Amino acid sequence: MSPTKNVLEYSYYPGCSLHASAKEYDESTQGLFKALKIGLKEVPDWLCCGATPAHNVDELLSLSLCAKNLELSEKVDGDLAVACAACFSRLKTAQHKLEDSPEKRRQVEYALDAPLAIDKPVKHLLEILAKDYGLERLAEAVQKPLKGLKVACYYGCLLTRPADVPQLDCAEAPTIMERVIAATGAETVNWSHRLECCGANFTLSRPGVVINLSGEILASAKRAGADCIMVACPLCHANLDIRQKEIEEAIHTVYNMPVLYMTQLLALAAGVSTNRLGFDSMMVSPLPLLKEKELL
Amino acid sequence: MKNSKMTLSTETMNIDFVKKVENLSGSSVRRCYQCGKCSAGCPMRSFMEHPPNRIVRLLQLGQYERVLAGRSIWYCASCETCSTRCPNKVDLASIMDALRKCSWDAQGASKESLVQLANRLFLENIRSYGRQYEMRLAAAFNLHSGKLLKDFMLGPKLFSKGKLKMFHQKNKNIAEIEKIFSRIEELRKKGEAP
Repeated sequence: MSPTKNVLEYSYYPGCSLHASAKEYDESTQGLFKALKIGLKEVPDWLCCGATPAHNVDELLSLSLCAKNLELSEKVDGDLAVACAACFSRLKTAQHKLEDSPEKRRQVEYALDAPLAIDKPVKHLLEILAKDYGLERLAEAVQKPLKGLKVACYYGCLLTRPADVPQLDCAEAPTIMERVIAATGAETVNWSHRLECCGANFTLSRPGVVINLSGEILASAKRAGADCIMVACPLCHANLDIRQKEIEEAIHTVYNMPVLYMTQLLALAAGVSTNRLGFDSMMVSPLPLLKEKELL
Repeated sequence: MKNSKMTLSTETMNIDFVKKVENLSGSSVRRCYQCGKCSAGCPMRSFMEHPPNRIVRLLQLGQYERVLAGRSIWYCASCETCSTRCPNKVDLASIMDALRKCSWDAQGASKESLVQLANRLFLENIRSYGRQYEMRLAAAFNLHSGKLLKDFMLGPKLFSKGKLKMFHQKNKNIAEIEKIFSRIEELRKKGEAP
C-alpha cells in the first residue's frame, strides 16, 4: 500500500524557537500539514537567521546568515515554508536587499565563499494556507467547526511590515489571519491592537518594556470580548503567554487570556488529535476555554 | 521672522556622518521634513529620550554625538511602523540599524548597555552553536548583567513544560558558520565592507 500523495510539497525552516520555547508551534504545524496532506521537509543543518540582534548591529552578518539558509534550502524541493514571523521577515528582507545592491551581493558572496543561491520563494505558513492551499479547501478540511469561539487575530510587526518586503497582505489593514481562521467557523473580533508591537526581544534585556506593551495588547483583546488571541510568531507568543502572569501582577488585573498559535486552532478544527497540539505546554491553559466551547 | 529661518546645508549638518548613515541604511536622512508621523506611531517613544523624528532632526543639525550617546537607538524595537508610514520614503528603521552599527563599532558610545549585552550574547551563541538556545542565552545574560535572579521564577515552570532544553548540540556545519564570521571580519580588515 502506498501512502496517499501529498497535494503540496514544501521545504521547511522552523527556526530556533520552534525547537525550544515554541515547540507547540512546530508540533501543531506538523500535525496540521499532515492532516491537510501538505508535505514539509526540514532544511538540513539550517542555522539561526540572526533575528533582530544581527540586523541591529551588523547588516552584513544578517544578510550572510539568511543567504546561507536560503542556499541550504536548495537541498530540499519545494518553496520554503517559514513559521516564525521574525525568520520570515529576515529571509525576505535579505532577498529584497541583496536584489537591490550589487555591492552587498559581492560582500555576502565573499562571506559565504560561494555564488549566491537565494531565489527560492519564501512563504509564511499563512500564505501557504490562504493562497497555495486555498481557503475553500481549508474550509472543506474542517471536521470540528470552531463555532462560538471569539478569536482576536494578532499580527504583531513583522508579518506585514514594511509594506514592500513581506507582501503577505496589506501592511496597515491586513485580513489574512481573520480569513484563515474564519474558514473554521470561528468568529473574529475587531480590536485596536492587532498590529501593535509586543515588545519583541526586549523580553531578555528590558522585560519592563514587554510588560508595558504586551499588557496593552491583552487589555485591548479583553475589551473587544475575545476568548483567546491567535498568533503566528513565537516571540509574540512568549511575550503574551509566558509573561502574562507578570503583566497581571504588575497592573493588578486578571486576563486569563489563552494565546494560541494559528496552527493549534486550525489543527484542532481539522481533527488532529489534541495530544499532538501542545496545549499542556502553555502557561495560560486553553483547556478550560476549549472545554467550555465543547471543542475537546 | 527673517532671522528665525533656518536652512539646512552641508555646514549645518555633519555631511560625512549623514552620508555614512545614508550609505549604511540605503535611506535618505535629508528627505525628512519633520511631519512627526514616525514618532506618532512608535510604540517605544515613551522609553526614548529622543523620539524618532527628533533623531533624524539631530542628524540633520550635525548633532549626531547626542544620538549615539543616548539610549534611544537601543530602545527601537525594529517594528518597522515608522518606515511603513513615512510619507516621504525615509526608511527610519534602517537608519536606526545604521546608527546602532555606528554606536556598536565605536564601543561604549552609548549609555545603554543591557540591550547591547543581549545582542552580543545572541550573536556569540550563533557563532558557537549555529542555533539559538534560549536557556543558554538567558543564563549568560543573567550572569553577565549581574541580574542573577531575573526570571528566576519562570525558569522551572518553563522547564517543566518542556520549553527549555538543557542540552545543546552544535550544528554539524559549525565550521562553515565560523567561516562566515571570520570572512566578514577579513573583509572589514581589508576595508572592503562597512
